Amino acid sequence: MASMLELKNVHAGYGEFRVLHGVNMRVDKGEIVALVGPNGAGKTTTLRTILNMTTRYEGEIKFQGRDITRIPTHKIVEEGITMVPEGRGIFNPLTVYENLLAGAYTKRAQEKIEDSLEFVFSLFPRLKERKNQIAGTLSGGEAQMLAIARALMARPTLLMFDEPSLGLAPKIVLEVFDVVVKLRDSGVTVLIVEQHVKNSLEVADRAYVMEMGQIVLEGEGKALLKDERLKKAYLII
Amino acid sequence: MMDPILVTNNVLDGLLMGLLYSLVALGLALIFGVMDIINFAHGDFVMIGAYTAWLLAMAFWVDPSVTAIITVPLFFIIGIGIYKLVIEPVLGAEPLIQIAVTVGLGYVFQNIALALWHAEPKSFPAPWLNFSISAGGITLSVAKLIAGGISIISLYLIHYMLTKTKFGLAVRATSANREVAPLMGINVKKVYAITFGIGTALTALGAALYMSWGQTNPYLGQSFSLLSWVIVAMGGLGGVIGVLYSGLIVGVLEALGSTFITPSARLAVVYLAFFLLLWFRPRGLFARR
Ligand SMILES: Nc1ncnc2c1ncn2[C@@H]1O[C@H](COP(=O)(O)OP(=O)(O)OP(=O)(O)O)[C@@H](O)[C@H]1O
Ligand SMILES: [Mg+2]
Repeated sequence: MASMLELKNVHAGYGEFRVLHGVNMRVDKGEIVALVGPNGAGKTTTLRTILNMTTRYEGEIKFQGRDITRIPTHKIVEEGITMVPEGRGIFNPLTVYENLLAGAYTKRAQEKIEDSLEFVFSLFPRLKERKNQIAGTLSGGEAQMLAIARALMARPTLLMFDEPSLGLAPKIVLEVFDVVVKLRDSGVTVLIVEQHVKNSLEVADRAYVMEMGQIVLEGEGKALLKDERLKKAYLII
Repeated sequence: MMDPILVTNNVLDGLLMGLLYSLVALGLALIFGVMDIINFAHGDFVMIGAYTAWLLAMAFWVDPSVTAIITVPLFFIIGIGIYKLVIEPVLGAEPLIQIAVTVGLGYVFQNIALALWHAEPKSFPAPWLNFSISAGGITLSVAKLIAGGISIISLYLIHYMLTKTKFGLAVRATSANREVAPLMGINVKKVYAITFGIGTALTALGAALYMSWGQTNPYLGQSFSLLSWVIVAMGGLGGVIGVLYSGLIVGVLEALGSTFITPSARLAVVYLAFFLLLWFRPRGLFARR
């Protein structure tokens, strides 16, 4: 079976500053794939490169069999990939509801907007209560829920998370992982970058470990959890 | 002693001019709010718009305000062209480069006007609307009443576009976070181009209305720029409504200063009031703390 997303020998960075040195990865339909690694390894850069938000020097990225390396970001979103960005990227002056509407900006999402709203409000009832609140006044946890809900409004085939649990209380971190699993079970394919290596390897079907812009280890999530090198590097107990 | 009727008359005059200033300043506020670029040529677009209205009025022998039917769409397209040629290339550049580019653009416009039409002021010799109506000692210019009316309708339409339409949502999302907007599927470059087009079209509308009674010269842009900056600085954070209130305040201050101090001090009065306001509200009238 062909992969949903495939990166072949991708070299990318920011202008002259090279970050990724030949990344090879794939994400299959229905999987949760985790991408872990130390700070500055290039995880965010990988996700941004998939969305054509960096400088790419070499390599190819295919989504559902189609080469997307030269397609502008907003059109890739229309194709069905979206991302919950690092730091959430909420539209602060807009209301919660307007943030959700913005999430459904693409043609593919517009037709299903009522359905999508119902779905995200059932997933995050708190957002429904706060529908007309200015998004900038939400708590950190609520803002993260909004960021996830907004991404879901785009009706993605592939949803990428960049450190969704950053800065959240442990209880809410678990909630976020619950949501990730729920989404996978509802048919969304997930690529997740996380600092919480243990949690993410537990829920991931497969995982990649990135160091200094290269994939250094890959395997099934649960198998990697037992990997000695990884245990040492990330102090997984 | 100040004559209360004269004061009232001045306030009403000032409010009408304030509506027109708000309309022009809204263009500056939109461009700044969405793309973070201060368009120093904004007033010079008004000046070029005024000449264009004058030329068309002379050619078709209609009141200059009527020429807005042509100049507004024309300037929308010119705005998009200038955005593509001059603004887009410097979007990520240092602020100093961006300033040099828009200041330079303003001087280019001034030089073109000077070369083509020389320094003598131009006005439409047979304005249809430049007469007044009086009631109870108050006299108002019909041209200004019409300009004020069209301005407020336009302000409302822009407000509606921003708050109620899909494109308006894209504009506000882009303004809130231009890095994240593309993740929604928003084409940010297109939002920029159209916003710049709208901002430029508003200067053409303001200019055509103004030419119903006013006259233009190559330096007309300076006072429109100066007034627009104050209006946006005072009220820009409050959206269209903020720009409207702040434009009305500026219009009234200008009218009172011009009558009770001296016409040549009108901009100084506006700016002194602005400095004073900043003592009490350093972030303008509409900052949320
Ligand atoms: N916009 C940028 N311009 C230039 N360099 C950047 C930019 N963003 C990131 N970098 C650099 O690229 C390298 C990889 O950064 P990246 O954000 O991809 O790491 P990361 O794996 O996501 O790290 P973290 O876990 O800290 O989020 C770093 O050295 C960083 O300084
Ligand atoms: Mg990162």
